[in-house]
Amino acid sequence: MDLRGRIVRAALGRPRVLAAVSAGATERRLAVEAELARRGWPCAAAPAEADLLVVAADPGPGTAGAGTADWVARLWEAMPAPRARVPLADAGEAAAVLDHGLAELRRRGGARHGGGHRGGHAPAPPAGSPDSPQDPDGPHAGHDSGLVDGLPLAGRADDRDGLRLDRLHLPLGPALPDWPAGLVLRVALQGDVVQRAAVEADPPGPGRLPFWNEPWLRAAAGERVARGEAARRLCAAHLDSLGRFFAVTGWPDLAARARYARDRALGGAGAAELSALVRPLTRRARGSRTLRWLTAGVGVLPAGRARSLGVAGDAHGRMLGWLDAVARAASACDDGAPLAADPAVGPRGPVHGPVPASRALLDALPGLLEGAEFACARIVVASLDPDLDELARAPLPGAAHG
Amino acid sequence: MAEHPPSWAVFALPVLLAAVALVTAGADALLAAGARAGPARSPREAAARAAAPARGVLRELVRQPRRTRAADVALVRVGAALLPVAAMLAGVVLPLGFRSVSDLPEGVVWYNAMEALAWAAVWLAGWGPNSALSLIGGYRFLAQGLAYEVPHMLAITTAALGAESLRVGGVVDAQSGLWFAVWMPAAFGIHLLSALAMAFWGPFDRPAGRDVAGGAAAELSGVDRILLLGGRWLLLVVAAAMSVPLFLGGGHGPLLPGWAWTVVKTAAVLAFLLWARRRVPALRMERWTEAAWVVLTPLAVVQALVVAVVVLHR
Amino acid sequence: MEFVVFWVPAVLAVGCGALVFRFDSMARATFSLLASLLCTGGLVVLLGLDYLGVVVVLMMTLEMSVMAVFMVMYMMNPAGLTPMTMTHNTRAAAVVCGLLFALLAAGILSAPWPDRRGRPPDDPTLDLGMSLMGPQMLTMMTLAMALFATIVATVVLATRRGRYDRLGDGLRARRADDPVPGGVGR
Repeated sequence: MDLRGRIVRAALGRPRVLAAVSAGATERRLAVEAELARRGWPCAAAPAEADLLVVAADPGPGTAGAGTADWVARLWEAMPAPRARVPLADAGEAAAVLDHGLAELRRRGGARHGGGHRGGHAPAPPAGSPDSPQDPDGPHAGHDSGLVDGLPLAGRADDRDGLRLDRLHLPLGPALPDWPAGLVLRVALQGDVVQRAAVEADPPGPGRLPFWNEPWLRAAAGERVARGEAARRLCAAHLDSLGRFFAVTGWPDLAARARYARDRALGGAGAAELSALVRPLTRRARGSRTLRWLTAGVGVLPAGRARSLGVAGDAHGRMLGWLDAVARAASACDDGAPLAADPAVGPRGPVHGPVPASRALLDALPGLLEGAEFACARIVVASLDPDLDELARAPLPGAAHG
Repeated sequence: MAEHPPSWAVFALPVLLAAVALVTAGADALLAAGARAGPARSPREAAARAAAPARGVLRELVRQPRRTRAADVALVRVGAALLPVAAMLAGVVLPLGFRSVSDLPEGVVWYNAMEALAWAAVWLAGWGPNSALSLIGGYRFLAQGLAYEVPHMLAITTAALGAESLRVGGVVDAQSGLWFAVWMPAAFGIHLLSALAMAFWGPFDRPAGRDVAGGAAAELSGVDRILLLGGRWLLLVVAAAMSVPLFLGGGHGPLLPGWAWTVVKTAAVLAFLLWARRRVPALRMERWTEAAWVVLTPLAVVQALVVAVVVLHR
Repeated sequence: MEFVVFWVPAVLAVGCGALVFRFDSMARATFSLLASLLCTGGLVVLLGLDYLGVVVVLMMTLEMSVMAVFMVMYMMNPAGLTPMTMTHNTRAAAVVCGLLFALLAAGILSAPWPDRRGRPPDDPTLDLGMSLMGPQMLTMMTLAMALFATIVATVVLATRRGRYDRLGDGLRARRADDPVPGGVGR
């Protein structure tokens, strides 16, 4: 083997993986994340740093199907060579698919991509490029055209403080790190201040049960489900949300620990092991004054809306709520008694409500995001963590109960 | 005490700084992997985890540099390349023991000026790719700069004031007895905070934060990425190492030779920073700026005043 | 050697300065100006005034970067700015510049420059400090206060929200009422 080949092998031995996940693919996402952690492969935050694209996206119904293919194609286009792309159709295949992806990547890395091809690569679209029609105000007066290299220019609008500043319309998502799968926020940004936000949720394809609500839905359908299983799922769901919350607030250490505990919970760890993993996590998150200072007062929901949403307070309070629930659920996850079919309350709220609990969370988002800085907006989204899997209004087995 | 260094020191400095940066990044990667996947099961696994940054450098070398649409490629290249260059230039006045590559008469100001080049570098790298997330990263760094720079300047001025010299060697000489960290604790603490902030790392990593998909580095791949992210580690190492001559007595210490003391103290500062970063979430500037201006700046002024009074009555 | 050390930054300084007017992007113009000022800082060091030279580098880097932020506030489109000209009202500007240049050149050529008396000090930084903090203290203090007052006055004129909006009529609120709360609340 020549030197170049050896360098390429060493360099690509642990590729950076970007997972393109649509709503409804939660189980596959979790399988990929757990497998990556086991192998020590890093997770990419943006297409620019990714080597391997794992596509866990279902072609959704109607127009959304075309939409899915579209954003995945844009991600792929934005990745530099050498790169590989593998589809993941089933959570059980995660390990095999990653192996296949690595082999593919090595094959492509070995075939020289350099030389003449190097300069010829088409310029990639930047993450979150403005793709929607621009402001009605039109582009700057004085500029000769509204387009630069096919990209529209920013228009202007009054900002929070009454200054007339440039405004950019951007889609946030669906491929942002630590972001609810399938969620797209169409925002008007001035600098890094969100001026307006509109939610565009891509509902998952029919036929799959929402992963986080599965035990309750199965129990409602008459299956015998152990209470421990439900507690385990609840614990993992909140740990997943906490992982995102900590990642977005910039505490990677705690995010990593929450995700490790989540993987262990889904991997069948006993109550004792889980409690031992969760306890230091809870203690540190609760005891951190810095975290309280940074997240208290962010995304405050008025008390009046608490009943309809099932959550209240600010981002910090919601995190504390998750921590409590995780600690309770972790100690209960060996319980073998059957789960009562009623009340069926999943991680985000009642699983049979007239409106899915996550729909209410999504509806609350735009109001909370207006006027928030970008970092705060990310924290608000993470602290509500809507689960778009719930939006599938397929005929559910227990729908008659609702 | 300052002796002239051999001429090869000019070439040894970048190699040494890069090696220290790689080791530090490796230690950080080891800690991070331990948090995500549990403790390493074998020494081999631990070595593989610690090798992640080195593998990352290799990976970027075989990858294609990438261009975004309507990007200002020249500005991206200048920004990415400027960061490691600024860190290396700042490192010129760093003494190993009692020798530095060049003990400039205004060494303390020189370090400040070179480190300030990071402002331009990160902003350029964030602006150039024509991407909103990367731009947000770019001006998050300037907001951070406005918050950390004033207390930082006052802190290093305090050290120079205590030594009555702008020469880094002079500051070290003044600490043959009592270390400055002991009688200027506020300035020392502020310097450590600003070391993290200028390297936009740890609790100050929002300019390249994961919530903006990598911020200023979001659109970079290939050599540009190595330069910007590597430059950030270099800057962290230089700023942490600078706190040794400024506040921790430089090469002074019993038994061991001067260079060994410098190495030990620098390693201790870096280890402290690696540990501390795992204990705190990232500071957002919309909260931190007010704390920096309303609390840290007056604190730094009072510290400078106290030192000035002591120096006048010495 | 000395020839190269002087002429390289000198030519670069003038060249980058001229490029400011040739570039059609605000970002490039700003940083080209910065490059020119950094070269000027280098020339000041060459004069033996190390401290002033390094301070020029430091202050100009910070200033130009902040200027870039203001530019971003008003013209956000990253990098893909429509080409825009950096020169306005060219004819009048050319007349003003020409006259100014002629005036300065005439001044330089006709002034009776004194011969050097004495030698440069061993430590120009020390002398500079002594001069600023000694005979020129009053000038510097007045200048500093004037600059600071200007900054404060500008902010007061520009902001729509004063302290009474933030802390209530009696200034008694414990935390300021801000659209985005700060970390201390004052």
